[in-house]
Amino acid sequence: MTATATAGDLEMVAGLEYPTRRDDAWRYAPHDVLGQLSFGPATASTGRLPPVLVASIPQLVGPRIVLINGVVDNALSDFDDVPAGLRLLSFDDARRDQPELLAQHFDTDGDLSVDAFTALNVAFGRNGAVVHVAGGHDIAAPIQIVDIALPDETGSASCSGVVIHLDDGASATVVETRLGDGDFGGLNIRTTVTLGDQASLDHIVLQDVASTQVHLGRIGATQGAGSELRAHVFNLGARYGRLGYDVSLAGEGALVDLTGLYFGMDNQVLDQQVTVVHAAPDCTSRQSFRGILDDESTGVFNGGIDVRPGAGGTDAEQSNENLLLSDRADANTQPRLEILADEVACKHGATVGQLDDDALYYLRTRGISEAEARRLLIGGFADQAVDTVENDILRTWITERLRRHDA
Amino acid sequence: MLHVENLTASIGGTQILNGLDLDIGPGEVHAIMGPNGSGKSTFAHALAGRDGYKIGGTVTLDGADLLELEPEARAAAGVFVGFQYPVEIPGVNNMYFLRTALNSVRRARGETEIGARDFLAVAQEAMDLVEMKQDFLHRAVNAGFSGGEKKRNEILQMAVMEPRLAVLDETDSGLDIDALRIVASGVNALRGPERSMIVITHYQRLLEYIKPDFVHVLVDGRIVESGDHTLALHLEDHGYADFVNHDLDDAPERPLSGAAK
Repeated sequence: MTATATAGDLEMVAGLEYPTRRDDAWRYAPHDVLGQLSFGPATASTGRLPPVLVASIPQLVGPRIVLINGVVDNALSDFDDVPAGLRLLSFDDARRDQPELLAQHFDTDGDLSVDAFTALNVAFGRNGAVVHVAGGHDIAAPIQIVDIALPDETGSASCSGVVIHLDDGASATVVETRLGDGDFGGLNIRTTVTLGDQASLDHIVLQDVASTQVHLGRIGATQGAGSELRAHVFNLGARYGRLGYDVSLAGEGALVDLTGLYFGMDNQVLDQQVTVVHAAPDCTSRQSFRGILDDESTGVFNGGIDVRPGAGGTDAEQSNENLLLSDRADANTQPRLEILADEVACKHGATVGQLDDDALYYLRTRGISEAEARRLLIGGFADQAVDTVENDILRTWITERLRRHDA
Repeated sequence: MLHVENLTASIGGTQILNGLDLDIGPGEVHAIMGPNGSGKSTFAHALAGRDGYKIGGTVTLDGADLLELEPEARAAAGVFVGFQYPVEIPGVNNMYFLRTALNSVRRARGETEIGARDFLAVAQEAMDLVEMKQDFLHRAVNAGFSGGEKKRNEILQMAVMEPRLAVLDETDSGLDIDALRIVASGVNALRGPERSMIVITHYQRLLEYIKPDFVHVLVDGRIVESGDHTLALHLEDHGYADFVNHDLDDAPERPLSGAAK
């Protein structure tokens, strides 16, 4: 494992082609937009960070690591108030001090063949942030990781990584915010989450890069016995905003609760690719994803529940609800269930609908204008995802971001 | 105060209201009774301004033409309709909804808006009226409410909105006797010299609790008989048979006589 791409990595990349419409997981992606993306080694940005972008970072108090184009920005990062039990490192620091934390992230024996963008990330995403919580420690303050895409003259999208590692019995809240500015490029980020036995993670992902950019996010989590992962992913920005969340419930009695919200306007394509693998007995999983789609936007939910042999006592549920605000908007939902164990409870459901006329009428008879009634109903639909976030500052950040759709 | 003249309503080519006439003075409570399908709920929706009906005739409130107003403008003019089937609105907080509603009509009337703190006092008073606990305000509007809770929420809204004209559509349907008592005492507490009410009901039961000044029988989309509260007692004993499937000429000349004790 080195700080630059190895010849082997680059060779692997060279042999890969971009996915096409024929790939199930990439069916609705704007392939013309993807085709224009280029990738290369991270280079520190020479451009000035727009103040509005800095201001849009959630104002949480606590340790924070900020990366611009995949390179740690020390001025914007805050390593001062790191409590006992927490280590917050750049990949470079981790290579020197705790290389074992990066091993799984760069383990190319895995399933990298699934797509070219993942391989590109392995090759070029040599920098990033590591969160490590030592066994038994409960970190109260939210830990922030902010990735900003500020494309340089090469026009490359940046590749970077995030490693979140909670030892046995540790607990923490990690907030990943992805922002960007510029007419092209974007972010290609892989996050590797490892939860030890009885560990507990609240994982919040806020994707809001510029509407001209691309966001390719892929999160892979492996959970130990009795661990709990609560993820809240908000896929809001980008011309093409892709958020993959793959969970392996590897230890007995683990729980994962994934909540997601995507809110598209204009010609955005917001693509959620989720798979939960029940590899151990008596695990619980929930997937609750909501989409609001306006204008000519497209929402995709491709959600899998994969129950492996021996994973008896599995309790899995999945739901995907979509609200179409325009007759040109499009929602695509595809459940994938593969159940190879007995004694399994598995439920899934999907809906695509419009604003409820009866509810609009009801609100208007109470004196509420039609425009305000629509706002209330849309807000109410979104809040069922937003309200799963405990932190007030983050809830406010999301609500204010959603209000931009009213303008 | 409310003047309804030759009101007609049809939907998809089906005529439901066939020239309904009704005049209501300030502070009066009028009950409208009728069999299923007689047009009772359509009358309520016609007053509230629901889309989809083809409406004819005249409806004025304090001289102002209601029929040309959007539903929200009717609310601002003082119309409140308590629905038979209140809509569930998941995700929208009941308290926020109530305050938005009240401030919307206040804005429309050129009055100042009520802040969150002052509103709490308004809401508390309304909740006491319908014997609701505090958590009621923090739940989503009608979402997962029992039938009785939904109806109590309608009366709660009415208490907050303080309408000139309250139209209560089958407020008694689906209520057990305790809920009926709570709803009725809430309605009675809201009676006043400047507030008129139309109480639409299928059964006489509700009128034992809310005593109307006038009772009207609605059949085939028009009022075929009017009287005082004893008319309701007659209907209780004899049903609507006297008024249905007969030409009006065949209706008993004194339908009240059957109820005379």
